[in-house]
Amino acid sequence: MQEFFQQVVSGIAIGGIFASLALALVLIYNAMGLVNFAQGEMAMFATFVAYALINRGMSYWIAFPITLVLAFGGGILIQRLVIKPVERAPVLTLVIITLGLATLVNGFAGFIFGYVPRSFPSPFSADSADLFGVFISYRDMGVIAVSGLVLLGVYLLLQRTTVGLTMRAAAHHPEASRLLGVQVSWMLALGWGLASAVGAVSGIMVAPILLLEPNMMQSIIIYAFAAAVLGGIESPLGAVIGGLIVGVTVNLAGAYLPGVGGDLQLAVGLAIIIAVLIARPNGLFGRAAIRRV
Amino acid sequence: MPNLLELKEVHAGYGPRSVLHGVSLSVPEGGIVSLLGANGAGKTTTLRAITAGVRWSGDIIFGGRSLRRLATEEIVRAGIAHVPEGRGICTELTVDENLKLGSHLRRDGAEVRKDYDRVFEYFPVLKERRKLSASTLSGGEQQMLALARALLMKPKLMLLDEPSLGLAPLVVRAIFQIVKSINQASRVAVLLVEQNARIALELSRSAYVLEVGRVAVSGASADLKDNE
Repeated sequence: MQEFFQQVVSGIAIGGIFASLALALVLIYNAMGLVNFAQGEMAMFATFVAYALINRGMSYWIAFPITLVLAFGGGILIQRLVIKPVERAPVLTLVIITLGLATLVNGFAGFIFGYVPRSFPSPFSADSADLFGVFISYRDMGVIAVSGLVLLGVYLLLQRTTVGLTMRAAAHHPEASRLLGVQVSWMLALGWGLASAVGAVSGIMVAPILLLEPNMMQSIIIYAFAAAVLGGIESPLGAVIGGLIVGVTVNLAGAYLPGVGGDLQLAVGLAIIIAVLIARPNGLFGRAAIRRV
Repeated sequence: MPNLLELKEVHAGYGPRSVLHGVSLSVPEGGIVSLLGANGAGKTTTLRAITAGVRWSGDIIFGGRSLRRLATEEIVRAGIAHVPEGRGICTELTVDENLKLGSHLRRDGAEVRKDYDRVFEYFPVLKERRKLSASTLSGGEQQMLALARALLMKPKLMLLDEPSLGLAPLVVRAIFQIVKSINQASRVAVLLVEQNARIALELSRSAYVLEVGRVAVSGASADLKDNE
């Protein structure tokens, strides 16, 4: 039983990482009706930036927010330079463009930083705390706390501030928002910036577990897709809950199902995507496309 | 009275399809003007030209300034509230959030609060449903929400596109009564597009009738009503 709870807590920690990246996918899905296939690569690149800062002697907790700010700016820049010129292009064009962006960022990271996996520091102690007989590592707790704070921050920004309100309005109702004086194009750029920063958190949190290299996020993005689809792809809250469910499921499957573990864990993520799309195409929190006119 | 809005020989269309062939009209400050005509005459396109929702040529002057080359957001910020065809309600958001979108650019906090009180006086039903999703409102209630939101923008001019569409006659009466009160209380000018000519002419002082993209008749509403 103890072992089980430990696995659940580890699952929540890794789920928080999936949730951050899934939330980034959902933010952009809402803004342009399409997932950004380059989201994982953008997160990886931001993690390299954090690595470079820390390597130059900057303390972790200073490098962390600086990286998020840079990722935010980078997201806005990508939206302005790459996405905005093709805003009205067909969906397939946009898919190809974000796929191309993924390849580009990946190759660029390899070019600058190389493909040798590097160990990335974790600011949390590797010890465990004994909580009522269940041993929980400080690292898991730290990851849960950081992801939780970031997700809470995004929630408050979107739900409680005027900027958040106009971002949501611009994403869902661009025409109506324009008529209310909302600068839709900039709001979509802000959405990219926010998604990029939230994605960067997932990269920085997962790097100490996986080792940092240009292909680090390629499995994580699959879990994030699973989480986003499970949550209903449009729903930020759904992405977070989806992330936690996927994290715990994958972790438990790895621990208890014989043969699952290592590479097969990824198959569990894909199985979740397929099962959700068959059984509940709108996900747990997605709205069916029925509206009162 | 000086003109708040003036359209001069406006041509507009969608791609190769031209819809307006030189429309000229004017709305005086604080006035209510009706724009009437059959389906497809170009009423909605005229409104869309004013807020840059469609490409146009000619000239559109608002408050002494040409709107040429301005983006929709800038035109709106200059003081035009456009309640579009289909009302433009953000159904993903709550009633309250829709109202907030109306007032989000204003910095006159005390005035905004007063306007909220007024809005809830006009439309008590919106106060009851503040926390609900706007998608749960009936058609009439959505029209009220659209009007309330436009009022909260504190515009100089409101463009209303068929506020009566799909609503029961009693609801239409109530809404038009409120448009009249808004016009009188805060001197907001109104350009009203309607298919329901009778009720529009009762409300407005002057009117234009569009026929296939041109002004066919114009004059005082009272005169137009007589030779309907």
